[in-house]
Amino acid sequence: MWVRQGDQLMDGRVTISELEKVYGEGAERTKAIENLSFEVEGGEFVSVVGPSGCGKSTLLYLIAGFLDITSGTIAVDDEPIDGPGTDRGVVFQDYALFPWRTVFENVTYGLEEDGVPKEERQSIAQKYIDLVDLDGFEDKYPKELSGGMKQRVGIARTLAYEPKILLMDEPFGALDQPLREALQDQLRDIWADVGKTIVFITHDVEEAVYLSERVLIMTRHPGTKKTVTEVDLDRSGTREEIVTSDEFADYKNTVWKSLHEETQTEVKL
Amino acid sequence: MRHATSRRIEGLPAPIQGVAQTLVDWIPLGILVLLWELASGTVVAEAVLPPPTTVVGEIVELIVTGDVFSHLFISLFRIGVGLGLSILAGVLLGVGMARSDPVENFFDIFLSMTYPIPKTALVPLAILWLGVGTEAAILIVFLACLLPIVLNSYNAAVDVDQNLVWSAQMMGTSDREMLYKVIFPATVPEIMTGIRQAVPIAFIALVSAELIASNQGIGYLILTSGQIGNYPTMFANIVIISAVAFVAVRGFEETRDRVLVWT
Amino acid sequence: MDVTADAEGGFDLSRVIDIGKSIYSLVILLVLWEVVGQLGLIHYYFLPPLSAIIARFIELTLNGEMLYNAYLTLYRALVGLAIASVLGVIVGVLSARNDLVDWFFDPIIKIGYPIPIISLIPVFMLWFGIGDISKIIMVAVGTFWPVAINARDSTRQVQTNLIWSAQMMGTSDRRLLWRVVMPAALPGILTGFQIAMPLSLIITFVFEMVAGGGGLGALEIAGVRSFQSEQVYAAIIAIMFIGIGLDRLLRFTRSRLLHWT
Repeated sequence: MWVRQGDQLMDGRVTISELEKVYGEGAERTKAIENLSFEVEGGEFVSVVGPSGCGKSTLLYLIAGFLDITSGTIAVDDEPIDGPGTDRGVVFQDYALFPWRTVFENVTYGLEEDGVPKEERQSIAQKYIDLVDLDGFEDKYPKELSGGMKQRVGIARTLAYEPKILLMDEPFGALDQPLREALQDQLRDIWADVGKTIVFITHDVEEAVYLSERVLIMTRHPGTKKTVTEVDLDRSGTREEIVTSDEFADYKNTVWKSLHEETQTEVKL
Repeated sequence: MRHATSRRIEGLPAPIQGVAQTLVDWIPLGILVLLWELASGTVVAEAVLPPPTTVVGEIVELIVTGDVFSHLFISLFRIGVGLGLSILAGVLLGVGMARSDPVENFFDIFLSMTYPIPKTALVPLAILWLGVGTEAAILIVFLACLLPIVLNSYNAAVDVDQNLVWSAQMMGTSDREMLYKVIFPATVPEIMTGIRQAVPIAFIALVSAELIASNQGIGYLILTSGQIGNYPTMFANIVIISAVAFVAVRGFEETRDRVLVWT
Repeated sequence: MDVTADAEGGFDLSRVIDIGKSIYSLVILLVLWEVVGQLGLIHYYFLPPLSAIIARFIELTLNGEMLYNAYLTLYRALVGLAIASVLGVIVGVLSARNDLVDWFFDPIIKIGYPIPIISLIPVFMLWFGIGDISKIIMVAVGTFWPVAINARDSTRQVQTNLIWSAQMMGTSDRRLLWRVVMPAALPGILTGFQIAMPLSLIITFVFEMVAGGGGLGALEIAGVRSFQSEQVYAAIIAIMFIGIGLDRLLRFTRSRLLHWT
């Protein structure tokens, strides 16, 4: 549960120090992440961009606790993580909904596991289903939904059990442009409403700049921190006003150049 | 796919590691064979469960004296002819039904009515018609294998990519040529799948027919050696037919993978 | 036919034609069968007229013989199948989730599956006799393999993402099996049952033919031995009904359980 206490720091701070992740053994040994240190403030929206194979998904799954850390630490609010926990919720690129459960039952799953009484479960689930504009679809099964709707269920079910931190793995990567934009705006609104820490993986520079307060750019083979760009945009206007502004273009260029250098070096090798 | 990691052997030179891995993988079977050997003559009577060493000795003897071959060849002949005929008829029927409505209308009802009948229940009918012997066994193998082959070739021929047909038409393939130039090659992989499903079924059908309606063949040998109390021979023949079935399936898979290089 | 119902949408001639097209060949065959039999073109012993077979079928049904033998066959096949289903699912799921169990069962499954299971009937007669118990054990041993292999493979193929999803929402490792693994593997497990069901009938029929002791297989063979070919055909008709019935039942169960797929 997040708490806002005046000017104090919010909960949900992720501290990554000297992280290293190695896959395989012997001849097949590959280093996915090396010497990565980074801190995400509580309630902050951070995007991670990098060329494919830079280990950004690996980073996300390490924070989630799905994969074992080779060396270094990841801590949430100074408490080192040990496996998956309900303080962190992942939104998967391929949704990973339970196909045998309806929309409603997918959203209540985390609450069931937490032992929340039935009536309370129903009202909480309904709240988040409404939040992602899926009212009327409660009794549908995932197979009956479009990709965009599935991803909104994925977001609702993760919000419903109230993790402090949302970890999103290219959640809109498989969707077409108008839908992407609509969901991006919805996500910004949700973030403003519920005040979660969000770590957002993407390969889309514009998406990263549009959504987040800071962008972490990663190198690849092995993946580590290259640069961090602070995005201090005035986001009070409409999407059109924001994306056509000069400062938006500047931020985009900065991130793009940094990312492009990285891809160029790879090609020379 | 998740696969066992705890039994992986690491840190040995490559060829030795391969051998060691194989050994470790097959230890459980070794344990079972050892238990069998120890149990025989102690926990259970040797007559009821001859030890593996006796069975292996019997297999060697059957091969050295050549006693097994006449029966084995008859069994193989029956399976070969039955399966061969079912492939021929099954592919014709499957592709024909997929490409022609009259053919489908005619045969569909028979296939859906006979589909749920276990074909081995037809062995007595085969005896009625053909008497005890090779013809009855061939008929049962044929009937048992027919459906998987028809179904697979039918589905494949229905699903042939329309773009393939159009591009062939564009390049001047006539409707008559289309069947063997486009449709048939496009369905070959699925036909192979059908045959792969049919091979183990063929062995079950063969042994069923030979147990009930034959006076030759491995199945017959298994039954009669059991009846006269020659249990080592009974077990030896079960091992032989199982090995043949295993080799047939693996051999077919290997051949298929070599022939269908484009898939 | 209910003519009033057709008044609304008009008489659906094309539907009638479709049905006619799909069954005309069967009607022709059945008529031909009867005619050939009546005219004596084929010896009565090989192919009795259809009417004689149906009469015999009704007679055997009314005097209870058919029902009793069908009961014996179904009892043996289904009890054996039930045992194999329980054991097969347990062994299959454990193999997929536990390295040690997999190490033990993998070579056994590799060797056991290709054995033409029918060839073990004389062995089971030697070990367990020719009674119901022997037949039930034989069915259980024979149908164990497809159930176990399908359960194992479908459990292995459960998407890691689904397991991760459950873990992040607070599902403990112990509850994971029931909450996620089993529902996700259910389609594959049911496929195993669908493969095993006809196999259970095959084993039962052949065992009954070889060893007797009643059942539809024994009824068929008795028909051959006593030169009563109508009885063979009548038993095959019963087998066809049982096969169709069980097949439908499994499909229906599947569609009910897997309405979400």
